Amino acid sequence: MGRKKKKASKPWCWYCNREFDDEKILVQHQKAKHFKCHICHKKLYTGPGLSIHCMQVHKETVDKVPNSLPNRSNIEVEIFGMDGIPAEDLRDHERQKNGGKSDSDDDEPVAKKKVEYAMSVPPPMMMPPNMMPPHMLGQYGMGMMQHMPPLPPYPVPMMPHMMPPRPLFPAAMATTSAAAAAAAAHHHHAAAMAQQKPTFPAYSNATISAPPTTNHAGGASSAPPSGPPDAQQHQQRPPAPPAASGTSAAAVTTKIMHPQEDLSLEELRARQPKIQARLAAALASLANPQSRKSPSNNGGPSTSIPTTPPPPSLAGISPTGSNSSSGMANSIVVSAAMSKAQEVSSYHSYRNHSQYK
Amino acid sequence: MRPPEFKLNNPPEDLISAVKFGPKSNQYMAASSWDGTLRFYDVPANQLRQKFVQDAPLLDCAFMDIVHVVSGSLDNQLRLFDVNTQAESIIGAHEEPIRCVEHAEYVNGILTGSWDNTVKLWDMREKRCVGTFEQNNGKVYSMSVIDEKIVVATSDRKVLIWDLRKMDSYIMKRESSLKYQTRCIRLFPNKEGYVMSSIEGRVAVEYLDHDPEVQRRKFAFKCHRNREQNIEQIYPVNALSFHNVYQTFATGGSDGIVNIWDGFNKKRLCQFHEYDTSISTLNFSSDGSALAIGCSYLDQLPETPATVPHPAIYIRYPTDQETKQK
Repeated sequence: MGRKKKKASKPWCWYCNREFDDEKILVQHQKAKHFKCHICHKKLYTGPGLSIHCMQVHKETVDKVPNSLPNRSNIEVEIFGMDGIPAEDLRDHERQKNGGKSDSDDDEPVAKKKVEYAMSVPPPMMMPPNMMPPHMLGQYGMGMMQHMPPLPPYPVPMMPHMMPPRPLFPAAMATTSAAAAAAAAHHHHAAAMAQQKPTFPAYSNATISAPPTTNHAGGASSAPPSGPPDAQQHQQRPPAPPAASGTSAAAVTTKIMHPQEDLSLEELRARQPKIQARLAAALASLANPQSRKSPSNNGGPSTSIPTTPPPPSLAGISPTGSNSSSGMANSIVVSAAMSKAQEVSSYHSYRNHSQYK
Repeated sequence: MRPPEFKLNNPPEDLISAVKFGPKSNQYMAASSWDGTLRFYDVPANQLRQKFVQDAPLLDCAFMDIVHVVSGSLDNQLRLFDVNTQAESIIGAHEEPIRCVEHAEYVNGILTGSWDNTVKLWDMREKRCVGTFEQNNGKVYSMSVIDEKIVVATSDRKVLIWDLRKMDSYIMKRESSLKYQTRCIRLFPNKEGYVMSSIEGRVAVEYLDHDPEVQRRKFAFKCHRNREQNIEQIYPVNALSFHNVYQTFATGGSDGIVNIWDGFNKKRLCQFHEYDTSISTLNFSSDGSALAIGCSYLDQLPETPATVPHPAIYIRYPTDQETKQK
């Protein structure tokens, strides 16, 4: 495989390093991804434009360009399409594109490179650009690896040329649990994803900014779980990020902020000793004063509650203020006496009562 | 000019299990909590009007009419509170804690869903149970009722659809389209379908009609996630509430974020600022003019953080821009 020929440079986005065939598309991309107001979704034209819009219209400061690389997030820089990119960055980009020398001053954090390395993806140099169908990548790579000692990973810049087609919303394909599981099963896909992932670090900031799409909905709703749900869940719920070997194939670890046990948060909470103690007390008091259960005893101070709020002096619901059409509201006794005083006293009674909480 | 959002005085002291606006009102609101209290607020006055104290944590509450509120609690009891006379009474009980209570206007009864795998219907005048409905051996995790339609989401990721006119059996049983535990389910105001959310930062929009044309419109989407370095944190979506007028809906997650979505056009309409802690419950008033947001830590992390923010209820008056379909 010879070295890649120098190609006429394509327009690229300074904020996320992504390349485009056409500057018009690049401008659209920037408006949609980087210059969109997160509050009203208005698309502005430049970073400063966005900043001024948010300040004036929503009284909010935007200190970073959304979805941008960490070192390209400056909101002050005025960039429109390819205009305004600092000459130095233009040169860097050019060099990286042609490059390939392991000058690798690209923006990839080391961790991501490591992942690539671990996945035995062949160095991009070895691959003829645009020729390898994605599903072949892995297989080919594996073959190569056999008579080739692992090389230090090459910098990413060449990768865009060998990218498999990417879905419209990258966030949608980033490690959905299903996708990850599938990817783990098919190693070559995993390899493809591992390559693909670091190419778009910008999307790591995308988080919930992706609008709902049908893309992955199909996956979520039509594809039946490929195994017992429990097994999947456990695989997909790493207790700690480093343990998630299965999902790291996609270079991103997902972590569900929910206890591992498949019970609702309420059930888990109900098991806590302090809640159990309260529950036991509640059940005991239910069992004893049977009188409480009788409807005729409505409203009487219950024996089980040491201090009840003061008796019906209250109910200061004024029918005048009610915009309810319910006739009941008008029957409410108006009492001007409903007051802070009562609130306070009932608050204190609550404090007393809750001592065994 | 009222502020777009304010914090309610005298919030519950522990996890807020539900906030509900009164029927046809954005003035009165009830909140149930794990501190055992049922609180009744006058929202515009920002005043706690009434507080009932129980021993056991309350898991849900619902208005029967403007002065009667019912609650379901961890001690399995269904209670009725009369805000006017300050009376409280026990209506009945399940075998296990009552997770959800709903007022079924259609039959003027109360529906309760419990971890004992049943839903019960209660006649509130005679104060007795008039029907017990098995939920296919699943604990009831969430339930929604509009007119005659009931949807019940259970612990085994099933969705059961019932019709109050014909309660001898459910009319539909579906597998949840989400792979993880269901957190919340709500019927569309027009009853054509429902939205449900799971613990894995995902929300599904489903339609009841089996017609393939209609079924094509169903979808699911990811939300309530954030990514720090290489770890994507995925949060449970604890709460859903529909805007009855615009048919858009709000989601609240353990990430402390509230989003409003247009489910028909698959668009997010807005995202509010981040709240101190998990959103445990949400409720739009019936006219959609106010949104009550219950924020309280849900013990979802393996280790309790050093400081757990105090529970709080925020009332937000969203703008049309935030809630109306574009």
